[in-house]
Amino acid sequence: MSQAEVRKARYRMGKLERKNTLIAYSFLAPNFIGFAVFTLIPVICAVALSLFEWGGGDISRLKFVGLENYATIFTVKKVAEKGIGYFFGRADLGIALKNTAFYTVVTVPLTIVCALALAMLLNKIKGAVFFRTVFFFPYVSSMVAICVCWSFMLMRNGPVNQIIMALGIDFNKGWTADSTMAMWAIILVSVWRNMGYYMVLYLAALQGIPRELTEAATVDGANKWQQFRHVTLPQLKPTTFFVSVMMVISCFKIYDVVAIMTEGGPGRATKMLVTYIYDEAFVKNRYGQASAISMVLLVIVLGVTIIQFRSEKKFSND
Amino acid sequence: METAVHGRGIRKDNPALQKVLRIIIWILLIALAAFTLIPFAWMISSSLKLDREVFAFPMRWLPETYHWENYSLIWEKVPLLTYFKNTAFIAITVTLLQTLTSSFAAYAFAKLNFRGRDVLFLCYIGTIAVPWQAYMLPQFIMMRSMGLYDTLWAMVVLQAFSAFGVFLMRQFYRSIPTELCEAARLDGLSEYGIWARIMLPLSKAAIATLVIFTFVNTWNDYMGPMIYLTRDVNKTIQVGLRRFIQQYSSDYHLIMAASLCSLLPVSIVFLCLQRYFIEGIATSGLKG
Amino acid sequence: MKKMLSVLLAAMLLLTAIPALAEDQVLTVVTWDATTTPYLIAQKEAFEASHPGVTIEYVDVESGNEYGVKVGTMLSGGDTSDVIMLKENDQVVNWQAQGFAAPLTDYIADYDMSGFVGIEKNYEIDSVQYGIPFRSDFWVLFYNKDLFDAAGIEYPSNDMTWDQYAELAKKMTDKEKDIYGTHYHTWLSTVANWAVCGGEYTLADGTYDNLLYFYKLYQDLEDSGACMSYADLKASGLKYAAAFENGNVAMLPMGYWLVSTLIADIKAGNASLNWGITAVPHADGVAAGSSFGNMTGAMINARSEQKDLAWEYISWLGGPEGAKATASVGARPAWVSEEVAAAMAAVDGFPADDNSKAALLPVSVAMEWPVGEKVPDIKTVVNEEHSLIMAREVTPEEGIEEMNERVAELLQ
Repeated sequence: MSQAEVRKARYRMGKLERKNTLIAYSFLAPNFIGFAVFTLIPVICAVALSLFEWGGGDISRLKFVGLENYATIFTVKKVAEKGIGYFFGRADLGIALKNTAFYTVVTVPLTIVCALALAMLLNKIKGAVFFRTVFFFPYVSSMVAICVCWSFMLMRNGPVNQIIMALGIDFNKGWTADSTMAMWAIILVSVWRNMGYYMVLYLAALQGIPRELTEAATVDGANKWQQFRHVTLPQLKPTTFFVSVMMVISCFKIYDVVAIMTEGGPGRATKMLVTYIYDEAFVKNRYGQASAISMVLLVIVLGVTIIQFRSEKKFSND
Repeated sequence: METAVHGRGIRKDNPALQKVLRIIIWILLIALAAFTLIPFAWMISSSLKLDREVFAFPMRWLPETYHWENYSLIWEKVPLLTYFKNTAFIAITVTLLQTLTSSFAAYAFAKLNFRGRDVLFLCYIGTIAVPWQAYMLPQFIMMRSMGLYDTLWAMVVLQAFSAFGVFLMRQFYRSIPTELCEAARLDGLSEYGIWARIMLPLSKAAIATLVIFTFVNTWNDYMGPMIYLTRDVNKTIQVGLRRFIQQYSSDYHLIMAASLCSLLPVSIVFLCLQRYFIEGIATSGLKG
Repeated sequence: MKKMLSVLLAAMLLLTAIPALAEDQVLTVVTWDATTTPYLIAQKEAFEASHPGVTIEYVDVESGNEYGVKVGTMLSGGDTSDVIMLKENDQVVNWQAQGFAAPLTDYIADYDMSGFVGIEKNYEIDSVQYGIPFRSDFWVLFYNKDLFDAAGIEYPSNDMTWDQYAELAKKMTDKEKDIYGTHYHTWLSTVANWAVCGGEYTLADGTYDNLLYFYKLYQDLEDSGACMSYADLKASGLKYAAAFENGNVAMLPMGYWLVSTLIADIKAGNASLNWGITAVPHADGVAAGSSFGNMTGAMINARSEQKDLAWEYISWLGGPEGAKATASVGARPAWVSEEVAAAMAAVDGFPADDNSKAALLPVSVAMEWPVGEKVPDIKTVVNEEHSLIMAREVTPEEGIEEMNERVAELLQ
């Protein structure tokens, strides 16, 4: 091939690439323009805000403070003095991080297992319509009503404790007023509320699995469990990726249930990252610090997402 | 199927065992459904009680007398019908816009190669990760300067272009074999044609899911309408619900009644769309 | 010189504003629960009657914690409503710092504030007045006359120490009949705020040893079954009004705002009981009739385009005329006078006994919380430790030790 031909081919390739990119952008544009204006720009503002001191009000009141907000929330001075134990034992951010991480680590797998199990059970049985609706109900109903209900269910002599007592376990404490049980109350309500939601996602994904695959496995003599393990589960991987990313994010952003049921208490037992952000932003009017905490959240969630993203790519390259 | 070869298990054709298994599953399902429904039972019973009966010790499962008038009271005490209409308008518009634009954008992310794809996609996910509380104020200032404050359109534009829908649709499109698209390209179909004739029909279940989720989320959103909508004619159902919670008194019996009413439309949407999870899609020829 | 000039100017503006009142003017007032709060309805009616051509338009914002969130956001976005009502004292500090509050210096030069007995100082920042109070709720002791009559025990008096009160609560408790001697709502203020009565001490001082006595008193009452347990109340969300109206609670220390609720509920037939109020008990060394309370006021939006009319409104609202409208529905205005107290006692449904009337004029009212830059942070800490003590996760001594330590860190 002569030089000229190569150049020509490269030009043609470039042109094709440019055309493809244009097509791709045309697909993206309707959503991206709205997304950029109404979400991305404010988010970028929030990122920048973490470097400023701002109590709200006029934009002229913004005061650049560099990394000071981060120094404050990480209690850098105290940590230098008393060691890292201070941060996780006493600082608001440390405690909120610990609580949120614990909540996420328990809730994500629990919800995924429940949702997947429900979806598998309800994929092809009689009466599925009824059950699906029932399990989706909690997600649909309004948060205030649900949380008020559950607070009542979990009272010292409420129905849940009555069942526990009937099982012969001596448990006579109100869940939301107990430092250990308050967190489990939040987890219980979250799983109860969200399993139907993720069940729907899995149900939709199960419809996309080519029947031939499962049939082939059956012919090959695989039993139900092996079928599930080696055919269904790998096919569900994009959904599981989506579900786990969305769940990690929404768990890290938990707010409603906590705000209504425990208000972060007792003490700081259920203080979460977003409860802390809300408090800093709207109660104490320190928007700079609130943004800085949000950035901590963003870094953690993006880190987790990128790891999950990589493993997804690895799968699709197989 | 390389993996299936490892499966040396003998298929269990024992009908008695199958039956026992089925019964166990049914019992399990019914128990779980009961667990899910108990709080709703309490909600229904509370919605028929007098205010002070709701939290009476010890708790009672049935009201002393049935106060059916609670269900008419909620429509008189606050303009619930207006709230319903507003919420319906927002939810339907958002759902339409969201489904259309995000299934469009998701196609680019899932099936097209272009520069900056991964970075852009991470941008989308990144915004999901930032809590709304953190960027609410800049967003509000911007929206106000656009003259959208206290209009229903504020809620529409805020929710219609969320990253969530794009992410969800991208994941579904990714599970559709790329070979299908390539074959179509060879047949001379444009990218728009592929999206309309192949992707859309194949992702009915996904679209149904997105419609349900968007509708439910918009319907139940509280913080957004609370901040952006002020005049009574613009308020939504979730904000309206809180009007039964006042500074020094709350009418929980009415909250329960109104919550149950607000549950109806969403349940109907779910019931209508969920058949897409049963029928499934024609999968023949999908295998690469 | 400059100041005099501006006063003159303001006076001139005021003069020119008065004929303008005759035209149709709309004053927007940001507040909460506007359609259901009796005093807001009464105030609007009375103001419009005495100021023809002016219409008050309430911007109804959700009550609860969201009030501050929403109004703060609205103001940051450039909202031009004329008057903003202040639900918490901290709000005036926040909004002044952000430049949303119009200084009232020029207006108050010849405005009589004697009737506020000093509480208006809570709206003063760096010697500039930013708001006018119009409601001030202090705490009183509600009691159920029916229960005391049935037990043949004398009603609580206006001069009672906390020990005597505890004794009385135990005496009134009847477990068989499911009657509780007293009732504590789950707030910090119901248990711990008594330490500020008398005005020698505030919860922002940084030491909390004064609260120990009150926590012990509470735990003693809870242990003896004289009140419902904190954990149950917290989980069930039982409302204090409902608890009292159910008729099995003999006494209830609560803010004055409950008066109008009780009157309304009894009128509507939702409850039937005979009740009375007395001054809250006092600690040894604190004068009988000392109480604490909080206030509600209004400020003028710095972006308002009709500040003079707005001032006309808030000065009326806080002053004797507005006070009468507020008192006419059983709410307690910030303006205190014999005349206002008489108006409060004259409300249909208010208990007729002299003791209840006497309770309307407390000796002193300390602020529930002072205002200050660090106060919101201190509030968070004290409330967190309070919930641990109340849920019996820690002893009162441990909890107070934590309060002392954590607040000291904040004040450093």
